[in-house]
Amino acid sequence: MTLLEAASALRARRVSAVELATDSLCRIQALEPRLNSFITLTGEAALERARQADRELASGAPRGTLHGIPIALKDLFLTRGVRTTAGSKVYADFVPDYDAAVVERLEAAGAVIMGKLNMHEMAYGITSANPHYGPVRNPWDTERSPGGSSGGSGAAVAAETVFGAMGSDTGGSIRIPASFCGIVGIKPTYGRVSRYGALPLSYSLDHMGPMARTVRDTAVMLEAIAGHDRRDNTSSVRPAGPYLPDEGCSIRGLKIGVPENYFFDRIDPEVRSAVEAAAQLASRLGAEVRPVRVPDINAINAVSRIVLLAEASAQAGPHLAKRELFGADVLALFDQGRLLAATDYINAQRVRRRQREEFDRIWQTVDCLLAPATPTTAPRIGETLIQLGGVEEDVRLASTRLVRSINSLGYPALAIPCGVRGGLPVGLQLIGASFQEALLLCAGAALEDGGLRIPRCPLAST
Amino acid sequence: MTDFKAVARARGLDIPEADLDRIAATLEKLEALFGPLAADLPSLLEPVTGICSREEAE
Repeated sequence: MTLLEAASALRARRVSAVELATDSLCRIQALEPRLNSFITLTGEAALERARQADRELASGAPRGTLHGIPIALKDLFLTRGVRTTAGSKVYADFVPDYDAAVVERLEAAGAVIMGKLNMHEMAYGITSANPHYGPVRNPWDTERSPGGSSGGSGAAVAAETVFGAMGSDTGGSIRIPASFCGIVGIKPTYGRVSRYGALPLSYSLDHMGPMARTVRDTAVMLEAIAGHDRRDNTSSVRPAGPYLPDEGCSIRGLKIGVPENYFFDRIDPEVRSAVEAAAQLASRLGAEVRPVRVPDINAINAVSRIVLLAEASAQAGPHLAKRELFGADVLALFDQGRLLAATDYINAQRVRRRQREEFDRIWQTVDCLLAPATPTTAPRIGETLIQLGGVEEDVRLASTRLVRSINSLGYPALAIPCGVRGGLPVGLQLIGASFQEALLLCAGAALEDGGLRIPRCPLAST
Repeated sequence: MTDFKAVARARGLDIPEADLDRIAATLEKLEALFGPLAADLPSLLEPVTGICSREEAE
């Protein structure tokens, strides 16, 4: 059952919110020993909230589109009275006294929060092999990484312990786990979803977004959380939504660019074949699919890495005196940031402006881009190097190199599964101009309706 | 090329020597990519201070 099917069943009184929450808790209890996707479960509070949701439904006053739906949060969204760790020792005992904007909006829409999800420490990495709370495991193959940093979000949604989850994406941290776990995730435009109350990694690169099993489920979550928030000084005042694609939405005539440089240059042949098949499907559905040359992504990635290193180390500064609190990989990144010059950071932000202006020109020729989300399927837990096209690459840099640039540019990007190869899902991303979330979601839904779906992950069927 | 080990020592950062070797090597690669991009920026090019839509920027 999808999120929208569950919402429909709730409104028709074929199922109750308590039944959905109870089922979610049972599945979590059964699968958590194999997944380790949660840091904190809020089962009792969820059941109480579900009972309240049922009373509200009985009185004919549902709160919104997510009324009674079990959802979980990456553990960097502040939750009043519930500890928020960011997957770190630094915040191991941190119990906030207010909710993040996203949490407020999900609850206003009626969501039932089941708990806080495991993640890469401080959201600063892509494996979710957390040294403090244990590694998150991929439900498609528990010896493999779910990606990250929103790894718990990806694993929980793929294993169907919750209908949707919140993630954050600073250099691919929604789209990478979506790709590795075979689910949908959207990184909205910078400024579209409030960052208020989300523990920051990089102020100008952090994006908050939903992850779910279908494009329409993802859209309905985005609709609930998007919009202006005066408490986030980068929040856009543009009206948000509607985002839920119509039944029978079409991509006929949509101009889809497939990058002829960079994105397909060094990827697993199995990933290439799955993404190319998706582009062919888009063409058969009436889209005008054409090759397009994109600006120098390596250069954008370099700028993005400098901005990230500097901003992350600046915000973590007070904690870095206690080196024993951090895992080795995260500490190395914080140390790198401390060695950069202020002029490098400022110049990176200047180059970033120029890169954005250059990339904007693409939207004069195509409506969106279709590209692989990750160059490989999920790596094994503990794997640090991979071979691609005869080149040995660091897993973190390889997994982020197709997604990181879009954070620097601020564009929305929708990751959707497009195949299964060797028993593991493959993901693509649709990238659009700023604030074109509705277009991306419509295109994604049309592809799903046209057959771009993958089987449920085997663990979800148990 | 920046001597990142010297920078660490000059700033009194408590980074162990073995870690510093790896960190410096990574930063040197990044600097090699970034240096040419920042070498010739026009004076009037200002930094991004928060990306927003073109309409909101105007």
